[in-house]
Order: sequence, then C-alpha cells, then structure tokens
Amino acid sequence: MTAEAQQMIEHIVELIRKPGLTIDENTPLVSSGLVDSMALVDLLLKLEELTHMRIPPGKVQPKDLETVAMMFATAQRVGKPRK
Amino acid sequence: MTGSVTRFRNLIDALAAAPGDRPFVTAWIDEDERDTVTFAEFRRRARLQAKVLRDHSVTVGDRVIVIMPQSIPAMTTFVGAMMLGAVPAFLAYPNFKVESSKYRSGLAGVMANLRAKVVVIDEEFPDDMLGHVSLGAGTRLLRASDCRGSDGDDELPDLENHAGSLAFIQHSAGTTGLQKGVALTHAAVLSQIEHLAHAVNIDGATDCVYSWLPLYHDMGLIACFMLPMVCHLPVVMQSPLDWVMHPETMLQIISEHKCTLAWMPNFAFQFVPRRTPPSRWAQYDLSSARALINCSEPVRSSSMQEFQNAFSTIGLKSGALQSSYAMAENVFAVTQSDINQPSGPTRIWADGQRFRSAHLIDPVAEGTAGAVSFTSSGRLLPGNEVRIASDSGALLSTGHVGEILVKSDSLFTSYYNRPDLTAKAIVDGWYHSGDLGFYLEGELYVVGRKKDLLIVGGENLYPQDIEEIVASHWAIHDGRVIAIGVYNPDLGTEDIVVVAEVERKELLANAVEIEREIRNLVVAGIGVAVRMIFLKPPKWIVKSTAGKAARSTTREKLLKEHPELNVESGESEFA
Repeated sequence: MTAEAQQMIEHIVELIRKPGLTIDENTPLVSSGLVDSMALVDLLLKLEELTHMRIPPGKVQPKDLETVAMMFATAQRVGKPRK
Repeated sequence: MTGSVTRFRNLIDALAAAPGDRPFVTAWIDEDERDTVTFAEFRRRARLQAKVLRDHSVTVGDRVIVIMPQSIPAMTTFVGAMMLGAVPAFLAYPNFKVESSKYRSGLAGVMANLRAKVVVIDEEFPDDMLGHVSLGAGTRLLRASDCRGSDGDDELPDLENHAGSLAFIQHSAGTTGLQKGVALTHAAVLSQIEHLAHAVNIDGATDCVYSWLPLYHDMGLIACFMLPMVCHLPVVMQSPLDWVMHPETMLQIISEHKCTLAWMPNFAFQFVPRRTPPSRWAQYDLSSARALINCSEPVRSSSMQEFQNAFSTIGLKSGALQSSYAMAENVFAVTQSDINQPSGPTRIWADGQRFRSAHLIDPVAEGTAGAVSFTSSGRLLPGNEVRIASDSGALLSTGHVGEILVKSDSLFTSYYNRPDLTAKAIVDGWYHSGDLGFYLEGELYVVGRKKDLLIVGGENLYPQDIEEIVASHWAIHDGRVIAIGVYNPDLGTEDIVVVAEVERKELLANAVEIEREIRNLVVAGIGVAVRMIFLKPPKWIVKSTAGKAARSTTREKLLKEHPELNVESGESEFA
C-alpha cells in the first residue's frame, strides 16, 4: 500500500469517529453506510491534496469512492493537473 | 413577467406566454458541459413528450410517474403530462446503495396508491429496480428512449383544464414506504407563485435562479422549476449529488451565470464554506445574489452567519441571506422574511427557563445569561393565515409556543387517495403542520416539531422506516428500536441516531459486528447512513402505556446518558 493510501485510511478513520473500527484499502465505505453522502466531499478534498490533482465536479459518482483503492484509481482516471 | 400570474387559467398557459427566445433551463453537467433550452425549445420538447404519452393512452386525470435523473428530459416529461391534463409526480431516482428488492417494495406502495397509467424512466435505469411486481396491473413502463415522438403538425388539443383541476402530486418525505402524495390544483400552485413572486420581488428581466435541489422536493419543484416557468425566469440547475460531492460548484455556477436567487436548507449555509478550501474563495463572485433563502430545516442564525462571514469578501451583500417557512402541503412557502431588510431575518432572544418550562417567549436583551435565540421565518405571504394551538387544540396568543396550523389559498386538496390521512391533517380547513412555533410582532418563528420526523439535509425521513429495518436484524428485539434526529453543529443538520435493544445482554459482546450489520441494512433499505448506533440491554428503552417504544422519553434518557450528544448551544431547538 502506498503512503498516500495509508494517509487516506487514517483520514477516514478520523472522519468516521468510530472506536475499534479498522478499515483497509478494500473496505466498502459508501454501500456499507460508514461514509454518508455529506462526507463524500471530505474524501474528495483529501484525495486532491494527496494526489496533487484536481478532481473535476460532475465526473465522479459515489460508487467511484467506494474503497480507498477505488479512490486513487478514480483520481488517475479523471484527475487533472492543478491550475 | 408583467402583471399577476393568476390571470393564467393553468400552468401550461403560463408557460405558453413566455417569450420563446428567452433561456429557461440550463443543466450544468460538468465544468465543460452545459445544456441550455429556451422557453420555445422547452415547449417543443414537452409537446413531443405529451404526444408520446398520448400514444400510450394517457389522458386527462391519469397519473404519470417520472423517475429520471435531474435533467431537462425529466422536466419536459413532467410538463408534457400536464399538457394532456394528466397528473404527474416526480419520485426520487434510486440511489445505488439501496437494494433493488427494497426499492421495488417502496415503489409498489406508492404505485398501489397512485395507480399510475405510465411510469417514465430513463435509459440507464437499472432493470433490477423494477419488476412487474412493483408496477401493478394497468401500469405501463416507458423508457425515455421510447419517447422520441414525431414532431408532426398535429397539435395537441387546447388544455381544457380549469384552475380547479389537479396539476400534479408532490411527495412530502424522502422515504417511499409512507410517502403521502400531496395533490395540488393549478389554482393553488398559481396562487402560491403569485404570492411568492411578490414576497421576493421577482423581476422577470433580471432574475435568475440557481438550484441543486431535487425535483421531487418542494423547494426544487416549486421554487426552482414552477416559479421560473410561470414567471419566465432562467434557472441554472445541477444534480443534488454533484453538488453534495462538490459544494464549491454552487459558488462557481452563481459566479458564472450571475444568478440572483437560490433556496437551500440550513445545513448548506455552513456546508459550502466549510467544504470549499478558503484558498479558492477568491476565484468566485457572489455579488449577483440578492436572496439566498434558508428553508425546509429549522433556521439557525449561526449557520447563516458562517456563510455571510465567509463570503462577504467575495461580494455577498449583507441582507442577501433570508429565511422562509414552507411545506409541500401549502404548495410551498407560508412565510418569507422581508428581503429588503439589510440585516436579514429578525433574531430575538428569550428567557431560556420560561421557554422550556412554560413554553412562553419572554424577550430579553441579547447576551442575557441563560437566554435562547430564535431566528424568524418571516411574515405571512398574502392569502396565508397561521394559528398557534396547544396540545388540547386551544388557540394560543402571541408569544406562546404551540403547533402551527395553516390556512391559505394554496393549501393542498388532499393526500391522493388517502381520505383517512387527509381528514387527520386538515381539520375545519386548517392544516395541522406538526411543527411547533410561535408568533411575535407579526413574524413566525419555527422552533421544533411535534410530529416524529427527522430532517436530514433538508429531506424528511420517517423514523418508523429506519426502526422497522433495524428491528429486522436477528439480534435486535422486535419493536424495541428508536430512531431520532440529533442536531450536529458541524454539519448544521440532524444526524440519524439509533437506539436498539439486543435480544439478550450477552449479545452486547458482539456490538461492533451487530452495528456494522445494522448500518448495512439501513443503507440497503433506504439509502441513508446512520451516524450513531447505541446498542442497549433488554428493557432499556422506555415504553409507553400501550407497551410501544416511546420516542420522546427514550430520547431524553439517551441524551442524559450520553451528554456528548447534547450539543445544543445558545440556539435552542424546542424538544
């Protein structure tokens, strides 16, 4: 796992504030109800910060952020260099 | 727009009167793609949809259900149905998290009640979300791809609908099972728009609406679709999901399109500034906005203040943030704050003790120790009346907190096909809103709710829907589940909190696993995420005399045992 993925996992654990909960790169986050729709933007902003990319609005669906691994794949696919 | 909109016989006449070359709907798809239609093009597309529906035998009075993503085709289908005198209703598009069997059973409930002639879905609609089972006999399914009618010369007959005919049905809650279809006439909708346009000083030459609100919700349907259609204003719209994932787009769209008006629930006022990196604020300009109206959740001045403080540096005018009290049953707004008031909605402080113990408002000076603050939802729209009633039904005078009753010239006719629910809701012409509030110096303040309802991000959820799902878990004692909304100051809206009794105390050892399964069940059932789950031993939940779990007393017990949940600050919501 990359250092960025590890940082994302730490960010999510902090976001969820659920003691005892562990997640890995492939833990379902959205369909499991761990992350609600109002927290998706927090994941996207963190993803932008970690990848140094811009994730343009309108190109991403919640299912693209289902796992940490999918988030980084999504950034590869739709991310644009920072302006 | 010139003159009164009540001169129109119906909503279709109002659309027909719009200048053809004026832009109507702009769908903001992404930063490189937008789709704009003029009023003439919108009318043309709606007529095509009407002809397709007519080819499928849709006629006056038939119900037409539209389940399509937020888009221009969804809107033209809706209006096409109205052109035939049929009665359309938008339903929420299935959320990918929801299990198809659960979606189908929710839809089956709505279908059984509405008995629609046709259900229109888009091409990408997932097959497994619909079975013949959920539609029922006599209902046809139309894919939007089947809706390419010929643009022939055959004109549609003139709509014979008079103002008293039903225009459409709007649903009042986000979950499907218990949805009540609010039946509205053309006259009611036109009256509402007449009053609303007056209250917000609509100027047809300069106004432009921005919206991310779902079309199945009254703010999205009335304020951001019917109002622009009848008053001939442009509206720039994006999907709710695109907005919630990128709230910054609101700043971008208002800046680019110089939008002047928007409606949004309370939480959005802090969600946008908190979820847009401050380093990017300066790219935007909100100076075109003349009214951003806080509506459909309890109004909190702290949320509005946060938005004002954040964006006054990028042109947001003082006094641009306003408030309104609205409900699907009244078509939309009952009150509107004075949009010419540069300080925004009136805010008052009252003695906290008197408020809590006697349900009385004793105004005190700002900053007085123990004071609670309330933000006004404004003055009544013309044609609207409000009464405040006690639990026993007695009328209360100014400054007393009680249930808000509404009477108006835009009030709904009935819950469609539900005379039982209608008779409970409208008594002697007064709609019993289930909301609690008070009247003071000509303004209405909404402070809480009498009815059991969670309002999460502006959407209404019935706690029963959540409780039923949680109780279906094998480890949970049937009927011993309570779902409540607890205000989350970080989000500016309510969190869903669940308390549930396990069957046997020993099961608490597996709490983490059981909680995970419950979360999955709730998401799969209705597509919403539970913020916190508290598993308790048997007999923990307070029961009513009838042996049912008592929501309000259990809530009090939970908040007492878990003070970390009790985050209400100086701004109080009446509980």
